[in-house]
Amino acid sequence: MIKQILNKVSRKQSKFSKNQEPLDAQNPNLTCSGSKRSDLTGGNSRKLSSSDISAPLNPRFNPNDTNSRKGGHVSVSYESLPSFRDVPSSEKQNLFIKKVIMCSVNFDFTDPTKNLKEKEIKRQTLLELVDFVASNNVKFTESVIHEFVKMVSANLFRELTPQPRDCKILQSYDLEEEEPSMDLSWPHLQIVYELLLRFIASPEADAKIAKKFIDHYFVLKLLDLFDSEDPREREYLKTILHRVYGKFMVHRPFIRKTINNIFYRFVLETEKHNGIAELLEILGSIVNGFALPLKEEHKLFLSRALIPLHKPKSLMMYHQQLSYCITQFVEKDCKLADMVIRGLLKYWPVTNSSKEIMFLGELEEVLEATQQPQFHRCMVPLFKQIARCLNSLHFQVAERALFFWNNDHIESLIRQNRKVILPIIFPALERNGRYHWNQAVHSLTLNVRKIFFDLDPELFNECLLNFQEEEAKEEKIQSRRESTWKHLEEIAADKASSNEAVLVN
Amino acid sequence: MSMVDEPLYPIAVLIDELKNDDIQLRLNSIRKLSTIARALGEERTRKELIPFLSENNDDDDEVLLAMAEELGVFIPYVGGLEHAHVLLPPLETLCTVEETCVRDKAVESLCRIGSQMRETDLVDWFIPLVKRLAAGEWFTARVSACGLFHIAYPSAPEMLKTELRTIYSQLCQDDMPMVRRSASTNLGKFAATVEPSYLKTDVMQIFEDLTQDDQDSVRLLAVEGCAALGKLLEPQDCIAHILPVIVIFSQDKSWRVRYMVANQLYELCEAVGPEPTKTDLVPAYVRLLRDNEAEVRIAAAGKVTKFSRILSPELALQHILPCVKELSSDSSQHVRSALASVIMGMAPVLGKDATIEQLLPIFLSLLKDEFPDVRLNIISKLDQVNQVIGIDLLSQSLLPAIVELAEDRHWRVRLAIIEYIPLLASQLGVGFFDDKLGALCMQWLQDKVYSIREAAANNLKRLAEEFGPDWAMQHIIPQVLEMANNPHYLYRMTILGAISLLAPVMGLEITCSKLLPVVVTLAKDRVANIRFNVAKVLQSFIPIVEQSVMEKTVRPCLVELVEDPDVDVRFFSKQALDAIDQVMMTS
Repeated sequence: MIKQILNKVSRKQSKFSKNQEPLDAQNPNLTCSGSKRSDLTGGNSRKLSSSDISAPLNPRFNPNDTNSRKGGHVSVSYESLPSFRDVPSSEKQNLFIKKVIMCSVNFDFTDPTKNLKEKEIKRQTLLELVDFVASNNVKFTESVIHEFVKMVSANLFRELTPQPRDCKILQSYDLEEEEPSMDLSWPHLQIVYELLLRFIASPEADAKIAKKFIDHYFVLKLLDLFDSEDPREREYLKTILHRVYGKFMVHRPFIRKTINNIFYRFVLETEKHNGIAELLEILGSIVNGFALPLKEEHKLFLSRALIPLHKPKSLMMYHQQLSYCITQFVEKDCKLADMVIRGLLKYWPVTNSSKEIMFLGELEEVLEATQQPQFHRCMVPLFKQIARCLNSLHFQVAERALFFWNNDHIESLIRQNRKVILPIIFPALERNGRYHWNQAVHSLTLNVRKIFFDLDPELFNECLLNFQEEEAKEEKIQSRRESTWKHLEEIAADKASSNEAVLVN
Repeated sequence: MSMVDEPLYPIAVLIDELKNDDIQLRLNSIRKLSTIARALGEERTRKELIPFLSENNDDDDEVLLAMAEELGVFIPYVGGLEHAHVLLPPLETLCTVEETCVRDKAVESLCRIGSQMRETDLVDWFIPLVKRLAAGEWFTARVSACGLFHIAYPSAPEMLKTELRTIYSQLCQDDMPMVRRSASTNLGKFAATVEPSYLKTDVMQIFEDLTQDDQDSVRLLAVEGCAALGKLLEPQDCIAHILPVIVIFSQDKSWRVRYMVANQLYELCEAVGPEPTKTDLVPAYVRLLRDNEAEVRIAAAGKVTKFSRILSPELALQHILPCVKELSSDSSQHVRSALASVIMGMAPVLGKDATIEQLLPIFLSLLKDEFPDVRLNIISKLDQVNQVIGIDLLSQSLLPAIVELAEDRHWRVRLAIIEYIPLLASQLGVGFFDDKLGALCMQWLQDKVYSIREAAANNLKRLAEEFGPDWAMQHIIPQVLEMANNPHYLYRMTILGAISLLAPVMGLEITCSKLLPVVVTLAKDRVANIRFNVAKVLQSFIPIVEQSVMEKTVRPCLVELVEDPDVDVRFFSKQALDAIDQVMMTS
C-alpha cells in the first residue's frame, strides 16, 4: 500500500517536473510582447501542490498560442544570428545553443502571409544547424542536448490536425484513392526532422547522456506522431525511430511495448491509424535481428499483436509489411507455423474478397516455411477453409487457392497427407467441376482433380463414392435436424407446462 | 418417423451441432440455448449445460457473442435467482477473450445478472469474480473488470468496499492504456455508487490522476466523465474540483480534448449552477466558439441554443450572440451548417424584438448560404421559424432558397427538400403553394435520378392528403396524367408509380373515371417493363375499385396481358388475376 502511494507520488512528480523546466532564461534575440510572454510562462511555471488538480499534462513548451483564433499575433523581433563561419571557433558552441533556442519558436503556417520574414530566418537557421551538426563540430554536452531536445520537441510535438470533413466522407468510399493531407508547416518540420536524424546518427551524441532527454516521454510523443496524415513525415519518423531503437538499448523494451499498445488500440478500439505500415516496417527489421531461440516475449508479440492485425478492414494499407514480419518469425522458428496458420484461420475474412486474396498469398508464404509436423497439426481446419475458398464465386479467390498446387513444397505436403486432405476438399472440387461459372477456375479445378486421380485412383474413387452418398443423404440430414429440434421444442414445452402445473399445485 | 421414439439427449444434440463446420448452424443452435435448457430442466442445466458452455469457448467470435448474449437472460432456466451465480463462470471466461464485441456483451450480461442477484450471493460470487478479473494477467480481463464495479460495490461490506476502491484506483494507473481508458470510461458509473464522503476523496483523486494521464486518449475520456461526475457532487465541490479542470481543458493543446469540452460544457453548467456558469463557463464557451480548429467550433456551435437557454437573455445577447454572428460567416461550411440546425431555437430565448433585430439578419444570411446543407438545415426548422417571424416576412426570403435547392446539383439535396415540401405546404397554406411550388413538384417527376422521381411521386400523395382530393383533382391529376405519354419509358413508369400511390387517396370515383383509363392504355405500351408494372398497379387497385369495374375493365386487360410474349409480364398479370380470383372467392 505504501509502495503504491510512493509510486504515485514519484509518478506525479516526474510529470510535473516536465512542466517546470524554465523556458529560455536569457535570450537577447527573442523579445516577446508582454501578453505573449505571460502566455508562455503561464503553462510552465505552475507550482506543484497536492491540491492542484488543474494541470493536465501541458505541452512542455507552447510558444505559439494555438488556441485563440482571432487574437494573439506574434509580435516578436526575430533576427538572424551571425553565421558559424563569421565567429571564432571558441564561440561556435555558444552560437549553436543560441541558434537552437531561437528555433524553438513556432510560426503559424495556416496563414501564408504571416511572419514571412521570420519564417525564412528560421528556415535558414535550421539549415545552418543541419550543416553544423553534419560537420561533426558540435560537442553534445548535457546542456546542449537539453536545449536541442527541447527545440525538437517544441517543433515536432504538436497536435495533429484533423482531416477536413469532406475528406472523411470520401474516405469511406475508397481508402486508397484518398489524397494524403500535407502538413503546412512542413518547410520547417522537414529540417527539424533532418536535424534530429543527424543528431541521433551522430557519433558525437553519447547515448548515455542523451537518454536523459531522449526519454520515455520523448519516445512516446514520437510514436504518437506516426498517426500523421503526411507520408513524408512518417517516412522521417520511421528512419528516426529505427535509429533510436538502434542507439538507445535501454529504450528497446519500452519502444516495443508502446508499439504494441498502438496496435492493440488500432485493432481493438479505433481501427484508425495512419502509421501502421511504417511501424511494421521497423518491426520487420527488429524481428529480423531477434536472436535464436526466440524469447517467450517475442512469441507473445507475434500471437497477441501481429496476428490480430489481420482483422481490421484496412489491412490492405499494411499487409505487405505485416506479412514480412510474420514470415520472418516462421522462417526463424518453423514451430510457429502452426500458430500462425491457426491465427490466419481465426481472422479469415467472410465477405471481403480482396482481403481473402491477401490472406491466401500470405498463407502460401507461411506454408513454404512449414514442416511436416506443424502442417500435420493444422491441416484439417486449414483445408476446410481452403475448400471454401475453392468454391468462392470470386474467381480470383478460387484461382489463388488452386495455385497452391503449383507450389512444389505445398504440393508435396498435400501429397503426403492426401488421405486426410482429399476427403475434405473433394466435395469442393466436385462442385467446382460441375457448377463454377469461371472457365479458368473450371479448368484449374479439373487439373487438381486429375493430380489426385493419377496419384491415388483408389482413394479418389472412394471419395467420389462417399461424396455421392453424402449428397444423396443431404436432404435427409436436413430434415432430420429439423425434426430433432422440433422434438426438443416439444420436450421443452412439456417440461415448462408440467412445471407450471407443479407451481399451481 | 422412428426418430420420435428414440430417446433424445439435449446436450448431445447441442454438442453435435456445435461440431458442425457451418457457422450458421452453430449460431442457430446457440440461439436456441433456452430450448435446450428447458428440455433439460433446471437442475441438469446447472450441472451439465452450463459447465459444458464454460469449456466450449474456442469457437468463432460470432458464436461466442451469441452465447454471451443468451446467458444474460438465462436466470429463469437455471432455477431462478438463488442459482444465478452458476452463470458467472462461462461469462467470466468470455470477459477475457480478444474480441471487443464479445467482451462488451459478456460484461453487459454480467451486469444484468449481477443487478438481480441477492446481496449475499454478490458477496460470495460476484465480487470475487470482479477481483479475479481485475487481477487478470492479460489486459482484456482488466478492461472488462472496470465495467463491473458499479454492480459489485453497493452490496459489499465496509472492508470489501475499501478494497474495491483501491483496486479501481489501481486500474486507473494500470500499465496498459487500454485498461486506463476503460477505467476512465466507467468512472462515472462507479462514482454514482460510491458514498459521498469517499466521492470527495478517493474518486476525486482517481479523477485527478486520469486528467493528468500521459495519453491523450485517456484524458479525453476523463473529460467525457466530467459532467457525470459533476452532477454527483454538491455544487460547491463541483465548483472546487471539476470547474477548474474543465476550464483548463477548454484551453488544452489537443483539439480533441477541447472538442470534448465543447460537447460536455452545457451539462456541466447545469451541475454548477448559474453563478459560476456566468463567471467561468461562459468565457470558456465563448473561447470554444472562437476556437482555431473547425471541429471544435462545429461542436460548440451545435450547442448554442441549449447554452443560451440556461443563461439569462442579457447574457445570451451580450456574449453568445456576437459569436453567433461571427459563426454565421465562418470559413467552414460545417460550422455554419451546425449553427443553422440549432439557431432557430434561440428565438424564444432572445424574445421577439431581439430576434427581429439581431437574429433575423443572421438567419436570412444563412438561408442564402452558398452551401446547400446550411440552407436545408434552416428550412428543416421551418415550423419554428414561422412562429417567430411570421409568414409574410418569411416567404420573401424563403422562396428563392427553396427554388434554388430544388434544382441543386446534388440529388441528395433535392431529395431532402422534397421531403420538406409537405411540411412547407402545411405551413404556407394552399394559396402560396399553388403559385410558387406547384410547378416544382411536377418538375421533379421528370428528374434524372430515380430516387428523386420516386420521392416526387410520394410527395404528390402527401400533398393530396394535405389539401384534399378536390384540390388534387384540379392541381395534380391533370398534370400527372398528361405525362403518361412521355416518350421516355422511365418517366411513364414514374407516372404509373404516382397513380398507384394517388389512387387510395383520391377514392373510388376518380380512380375509375380518370386513373384507370390511363393505366389500361399503358397496358398496350411497347416496353415490357411498363406492361408488367401495369399488372402490378391493377393488382393494387383491387381494394379500391368496385367489382363491376373489376370485371368490366380490369380483368379483360389482365387476361390480355397473360398472353404477353414477355415472361415477366405474364408472371405479374397472372399474379394479379389470382389475387382478383381470391377476392371473388372470399366475398
